[in-house]
Amino acid sequence: MNAPTEFEWMILSSTLLIFLVIVYGLVKYLWKQPLQNGPGYFLGIEVPEDFYEGSGKVWLKSYRAMLVALHLILAVFFGICFASRRLDLIPLCGFWALLDVVAMLAFHAWTRHRLGANPPVRAAAIALESRRLGDYINWPLEALSAGFIAISWWFLLRADGMRIDLLSPLLMTWATLVLPSKILLVRSGSPLSAERAEEHFRYQDALRRIGISQLNAWGWGCVVMLFGVALGRNCSPAVIPFLRWTVVGVFLAIFATMIFTVFSGMRLAATVGRDLRPPGSFATPFGRGAWIWKSRSFMIWYIIWVSGIVALVLYAQFR
Amino acid sequence: MFLTLQTNDKRPIYQQITDGIKSLIAGGNLREGMMLPSVRQVAGDLGVNLNTVAVAYRQLQDEGFVTVRHGSGAVIASRTARRIDEADIYQPLRTALTQLLLSGLTGREIEETVRLELALLQQKGGAQ
Repeated sequence: MNAPTEFEWMILSSTLLIFLVIVYGLVKYLWKQPLQNGPGYFLGIEVPEDFYEGSGKVWLKSYRAMLVALHLILAVFFGICFASRRLDLIPLCGFWALLDVVAMLAFHAWTRHRLGANPPVRAAAIALESRRLGDYINWPLEALSAGFIAISWWFLLRADGMRIDLLSPLLMTWATLVLPSKILLVRSGSPLSAERAEEHFRYQDALRRIGISQLNAWGWGCVVMLFGVALGRNCSPAVIPFLRWTVVGVFLAIFATMIFTVFSGMRLAATVGRDLRPPGSFATPFGRGAWIWKSRSFMIWYIIWVSGIVALVLYAQFR
Repeated sequence: MFLTLQTNDKRPIYQQITDGIKSLIAGGNLREGMMLPSVRQVAGDLGVNLNTVAVAYRQLQDEGFVTVRHGSGAVIASRTARRIDEADIYQPLRTALTQLLLSGLTGREIEETVRLELALLQQKGGAQ
């Protein structure tokens, strides 16, 4: 068997790093997530006081078994890719993220269906403060990101004489399109519990800001990759290895920022949300409120966005 | 600044919103020039129809409490109603006093209750 090439080393080290971070997130945060809002809640759903002494144990076990199974699938997939040296299959691990999100959402929905007998609150409150997009979204940074995308495409399209495969740049560009979800996140809200309304308001606002910062990190990760690919198509072969490592370095720095943002966000949400009712978790006579996951506009955008990614990845693999 | 709605209140939601905002204005929590969130935001946050909130805002506008500027939302205009119709003010008061009398309270007890409620309203907003 040949020794791994430089490219294989690059993929191997990046993948290993990503996998370690995923495992860290699992152990440090996801494992305890059902208890994030305190012992009176299971995944944000209000439960009786003695829940964790009875049926709660089974619920907790099922949740953790699902987590372990999901991560085992990823580990096995990586193992197969490396053992068979089919590193071209690595991008397919994006489907794992999809599976992970779908499984978590399904578990949430099932939990809400089975345990969601939350007593309706006697009073609900809303904050009389305007949420302006500019308070949450950094427009100059958005413009800079759009500028990088435009320059990348200019580089790609002016690379005459080279056989250009635009599929992966198209995929990266599509993946950067997270601005609609940021706008929807700013616009989404949910009734606050009238008891400790101020704290519930801060909690909801923190969740909104955490979500936006995570989307920012994701978007910039994709922009850097796209820019790197575009530069690579315009540089002489001698420069490409250096460029490749530079792009990987920048990407990993952004990835580290993203992970830091995700983890610090989870920690902040756990701290701020202790013993508070999560947005959209309780019934009022007015409805649950359109918190992001229950917003129809968000679901439509999410389905279109994910379908685009899936379609492009599948086309790239099986054309 | 929070608008609290009682879930077991018999009044329609738009009326609760109107009364709640008026109460915040009366208490001095909402002052002239302060902006209210958009109809879309309030409706989305509460999980009610846009029209419900729009009706509440329109009522506040008709009574002169808010000015709706196209594109920039609703702004608190005044602490006093534009039209003071005696019937509008005294009729609900008479109805409430009748209810209190029928519930068996004495005149002195009613006076005390009214004084307490007024003090509470003023204290909540730091109104003068």
